[in-house]
Amino acid sequence: MASSDFRMDVDLACRAAEEFVTLYYETIDKRRRQLIKLYMDTATLVWNGNAISGQAPLIEFFEMLPSSEFQVNMFDCQPVHEQATQGQKTVLVVAHGTVKFEGNKQHYFNQNFLLTLHATPSNSVWKIASDCFRFQDWAM
Amino acid sequence: MAAYRRSNIEYDSRSGGFFTKKHKGRPPAQAEGSRSKWKKNDASNTRSRFDADVLWSETSSQSRSRSVPFIKRHERPGYTKGKPYSHPARASKKGGVKKKFVRVTVYNHPNYDESRLLNTLQKASRVPFTPLEWQYYGTRVHFFVDDPIAVEALKDASKTLKARDNIKVVVFTPTPPQPFDAMKDEDIEHFKNCMQKRYDRSQMAMDLKALRSDPDLVANHVDLILNRQSNMIAMLNIIEDNVPELLSLNLSSNKLFKLDDMSPIEIKARKLKILNLSNNLLRSERELDKIRSLKLEELWLEGNPLCQIFRDKSLYISAIRERFPKLLRLDGEELPPPISFGLEGPTELPPCKGSYFENDEAKTLVLQFLQRYYSYYDGEDRQGLLNVYHEEACCSLYLSTAARQQNVEHSTWGYYRRSRNIRTIKDLAKLLKLLKHKRLNIVGFLNELPRTQHNLNSFVVDLSFQTSSLLCFVVHGVFKEVSKSSRNIVRAFSRTFIAVPDSEVGLLLLNDELFIRNALHDEIKSALSTPAPTPSGSPGHHDMVQAFILFSGMNSDWSQACLQENDWDLDKASQIFLNLKAEGKIPDVAFIK
Repeated sequence: MASSDFRMDVDLACRAAEEFVTLYYETIDKRRRQLIKLYMDTATLVWNGNAISGQAPLIEFFEMLPSSEFQVNMFDCQPVHEQATQGQKTVLVVAHGTVKFEGNKQHYFNQNFLLTLHATPSNSVWKIASDCFRFQDWAM
Repeated sequence: MAAYRRSNIEYDSRSGGFFTKKHKGRPPAQAEGSRSKWKKNDASNTRSRFDADVLWSETSSQSRSRSVPFIKRHERPGYTKGKPYSHPARASKKGGVKKKFVRVTVYNHPNYDESRLLNTLQKASRVPFTPLEWQYYGTRVHFFVDDPIAVEALKDASKTLKARDNIKVVVFTPTPPQPFDAMKDEDIEHFKNCMQKRYDRSQMAMDLKALRSDPDLVANHVDLILNRQSNMIAMLNIIEDNVPELLSLNLSSNKLFKLDDMSPIEIKARKLKILNLSNNLLRSERELDKIRSLKLEELWLEGNPLCQIFRDKSLYISAIRERFPKLLRLDGEELPPPISFGLEGPTELPPCKGSYFENDEAKTLVLQFLQRYYSYYDGEDRQGLLNVYHEEACCSLYLSTAARQQNVEHSTWGYYRRSRNIRTIKDLAKLLKLLKHKRLNIVGFLNELPRTQHNLNSFVVDLSFQTSSLLCFVVHGVFKEVSKSSRNIVRAFSRTFIAVPDSEVGLLLLNDELFIRNALHDEIKSALSTPAPTPSGSPGHHDMVQAFILFSGMNSDWSQACLQENDWDLDKASQIFLNLKAEGKIPDVAFIK
């Protein structure tokens, strides 16, 4: 039987993941310029083997990425144990679906995020600490 | 069916010349996308051989068989008197005329035996019929009928049978599949040579005007009609594989009346700017909607019926420009400059690269871990994994929808009921149940999954996040299921691990998130071509291998292979190793020990 702490962590993770997945893919498709607000200042993105790190390079990367139409077929999440995160609430979110970038064929993709909770006295927000994206058929 | 088989044979680009790019093993002359191809294959594979062979080839000649149903029964070819159980395929061959076979399934009354059932059916049907391929399973019977009148009679009788005898008769009427005309390999080869001949490399222009009267094609008896799906797709594939840089394409005088099959051109010839469709049979400007994603600058349409339907020229230009806003010239005339606000977005994607690691230290750590992990995971018993999971670890898996659909056939429901997809599962209790928590539960869970064999050569690893206390990495690759029932199914996976460094075992897993899908065609091929370990050489060589392992840091297989290829010359092998390493040409797997 799962302990009550773990239950709460799972519940929190699922709710955060569900809202995040909707928000993230809507933003990248329709409000690309806002997307960077979801990332931490020090966030890292590994996009089909290309590493991009920090706000300015990320802004530049998203600007030159063709406009997209994402469709997420499935996603899952797990809470990450605090031993690894120095007590910061962290959730692993993984997603699978299809994406069509303008002028390119449709690809299946896998993507995973590490989301961390940043609490300030007035409110708390989830931010992306790391993002890893890969086409299923990247090598073909 | 024959057409399907043939179309699955790959054509390669043996002829040299400008067609030098190697074909990647994608099937040609097929509907777009490998997914649809797999579906088709699977669908046809699951049918019985008989069903597939006869029904598929049958439908194209339906009209023919329909025109002869009124011949008297015993005169019809294929009728074998007194032999009700003869094989329909054989019967049809004997007669020489193709017939339409209809499958009938009967759900028998629980107390009727085989002969009573057959008697009841024969009595209920207003015409006598011959059940072919009769298969009796007690409560269920399958057979085929080749007489359309008997088929109708059985359909009519089904109500009475249901009401009176509690026998359910289901007549299976096949939906006619799309006729598919595949091109022969040699025809594709001729077509390719013809295109090669008609390509102007300096202008990057392909002139396929009046293709059907091309002397070489005529001489080789290749009848090319671009209105045919197979011919159009072959053309597009040849362009994609050989001249992706194509700028200008002339398809004039080809009697084109539809452009449906041309729509993939957007991705086959991305650079195409000039298209000549003049002197064809296009009736409506709406036909151009199928290729409107092309960023055309010049288009020729004169000599098509559609040019006549506009009251004046400005309407014509506006209708065409609506579809190709960036058009500069139409039928050779300059157009007013296109409206632009400078907002056009990029269409080039960054190049895709292989594994990503921030540094070599992390790379070694992760690759060594994976080597160890999968040696346990691929073992007969996965208990050894207890050593690599943290006490508080979590593990779950999710399955791609396509894989799930095919799962039934592949007899591994095992994954399906364990798949955790938050998109569809909302119940927290169920989500908790599907998320395995604590080391013992996880290893128990993993032990229930089918036995596997992972191909470490296929692995691509992205280290997505790294701090002093955490490593997050994703492994993509393929594996074979090696349990007896699953007959070596190849699957692909993406697995996200989060690990904490551990002084004793290197890395301890905190999170394990496994995604499984069906492998693509190319992935299956690579999975089956795993190199076999080379046999060890003479005892003297053994020491040399050990020395080379120490020197290069590679594992023994790779060290030995390097020495072997350099005739056991240690200096030479070392030099070559250093050169290749400097160029980054040695795969990660060589360093996994």
